[in-house]
Amino acid sequence: MPGKNIYKPILFKLDEIETESPLIKTFFLHPEADFHFKTGQFVEVTIDGIGEAPYTPSSSATVSDRMEITIMKAGYVTSKMHELHPGATLGIRGPFGRGYPLEKFYGKDVIILGGGVGIAPLRCLILTMLAESEKYRKIHVCLGAKSPGDFIYKSWYPQLRAMEKINLLRAVDKADQEWDETVGVVTVLLDKLDLDFSESVAIVCGPPVMMKFGTYKLLEKGVREENIYLSMEKNMSCGLGKCGHCALGDYYVCKDGPVFTYDQIKDYPDIWI
Amino acid sequence: MSVYSIARQEWAESIFKVSTEYAIYAPVEKFKTVDYELVTAENVSEIAYNGQLPVLPLKAFFFPVKENVGQEPVADKRIIIGVRNCDLMALKLLDAVFLDEEFLDIHYQSRRENTILIGNDCYAIKETCHCTVYGLEPYPQENMDITISPVGEVLYLSVATPKGATLLTKLNMTGLREESELPESVQRKRAVIREKLKNQHKELPGLEETKAGLLKTDASFWQEYAQKCVSCGACAMICPTCHCFLLIDRQNFEKVKNWDTCQYPSFEKVAAGEDPLRRLSKRLKNRYECKYIHKPEMFNALACTGCGRCIDACIGKIDKNQIIIAACKKD
Repeated sequence: MPGKNIYKPILFKLDEIETESPLIKTFFLHPEADFHFKTGQFVEVTIDGIGEAPYTPSSSATVSDRMEITIMKAGYVTSKMHELHPGATLGIRGPFGRGYPLEKFYGKDVIILGGGVGIAPLRCLILTMLAESEKYRKIHVCLGAKSPGDFIYKSWYPQLRAMEKINLLRAVDKADQEWDETVGVVTVLLDKLDLDFSESVAIVCGPPVMMKFGTYKLLEKGVREENIYLSMEKNMSCGLGKCGHCALGDYYVCKDGPVFTYDQIKDYPDIWI
Repeated sequence: MSVYSIARQEWAESIFKVSTEYAIYAPVEKFKTVDYELVTAENVSEIAYNGQLPVLPLKAFFFPVKENVGQEPVADKRIIIGVRNCDLMALKLLDAVFLDEEFLDIHYQSRRENTILIGNDCYAIKETCHCTVYGLEPYPQENMDITISPVGEVLYLSVATPKGATLLTKLNMTGLREESELPESVQRKRAVIREKLKNQHKELPGLEETKAGLLKTDASFWQEYAQKCVSCGACAMICPTCHCFLLIDRQNFEKVKNWDTCQYPSFEKVAAGEDPLRRLSKRLKNRYECKYIHKPEMFNALACTGCGRCIDACIGKIDKNQIIIAACKKD
């Protein structure tokens, strides 16, 4: 009797779609079979007969009867995702990867540095952490976007700001008349944090250039290499550590990552492209 | 390991008898090249036990060029005859990848379990054969169920697994004789072939030295060799250990596993457009680093077993051994 077929997706129903920005939409789904994931893990989403692509859920990992995925229109499959309507059936394989080792963050100041659509997986992390917020010293959420209108999850920030455990800081490259927060690249927000960086952990997710300069700035501030967690973007086809597309040195990003500490990967060339 | 002897003629007749139960593949020479063919009444006497390395790597039997993995696996019972050690040792890496307990590939598993592998001593070697450089022998060492060592009209069968023993019982050959060990002539032949292999690649460094050499290469080194590469991917297709693939979507959420290679443009390209292997020279370099640095580390298995097929297949006449020698050259 053969075991489970690792290439076969389980089915999810698409309940609702929310437009976050001209290029970004959030898809609200519910599984038609038992499905659980850990924060930082990703899933492979199939549009029947069209294609499959990897995404990290943006909803809390503590909720298993529904899931949200925020997707930026970037390539062929994501463009097709953006054309979907509620009621559609999607296939999901996973969850894949190791996820964030939350127990290593316990009792510490946690710096979350994100930009653009990279805020999506960080929302999952923040929501999951908030479910047991007493375990963390403080969660410093530093987010960046091109303009105020480009921030995804606009209605979420007032809620976050009201929470005692959260220190929310936001920056935009280009402000509008109503913007009263920081103007500049997201890394400048790190200068506004008053904490012992050498004892803090940092989680970074965003476009490659932001990941690169974010990491350098964190190192400069004194965060230790093994305490900087990076979400590596790779072309992940199978998610199973077999197809080879996401090789990064001695690792397969899909199976050994997608979250790596900086010291794990710093010696490989071209990690920021 | 039990050793038996059988007349070549009786072996051919007996093995053909089970072709109703098993699909039997064996190397057959056609137009001066040897490749696996389905054994039929017409070609059963032409099995090339002493012939050249089959063109097709063994991996194709377990990891087909194109395979619909959306459906439940259906694997026919097969016997593959004439398998060489370079291909058998390559299965170590493929098994580590596809039989990984965390994500077991049931399609690969089913094909592996339903196949009996009959290995062969290598008596005819090519100029590009270089398995001994990586510590391998020119006769089956692992993953075979039976090994055939031909001496004239007699075949010596070394049975390595219960699967092999069961097949031998099933063949019910009246002339089968149990031997105490392989004859001296086989041992001598093995030693001669081993020496011949060693002599034809004296300058080629082993795995550790290759790793060290590759680590000190710079971009210009690869740019020079890449001038002759046309990204055709033949080196990867013909390689017994290359296992990269692409999942292609079909209706009803079915997936087709299709051979792919890092030598093709866009292999690592992400949706936003970044592509770490955009340059051809980086793709070429990636192939060598994967084979000699990363894969052995990741899977504790050789990712190059020295079969030399990539050298034979390259239309740009790139000799990977010359690249390795150049990379390891002392400054």
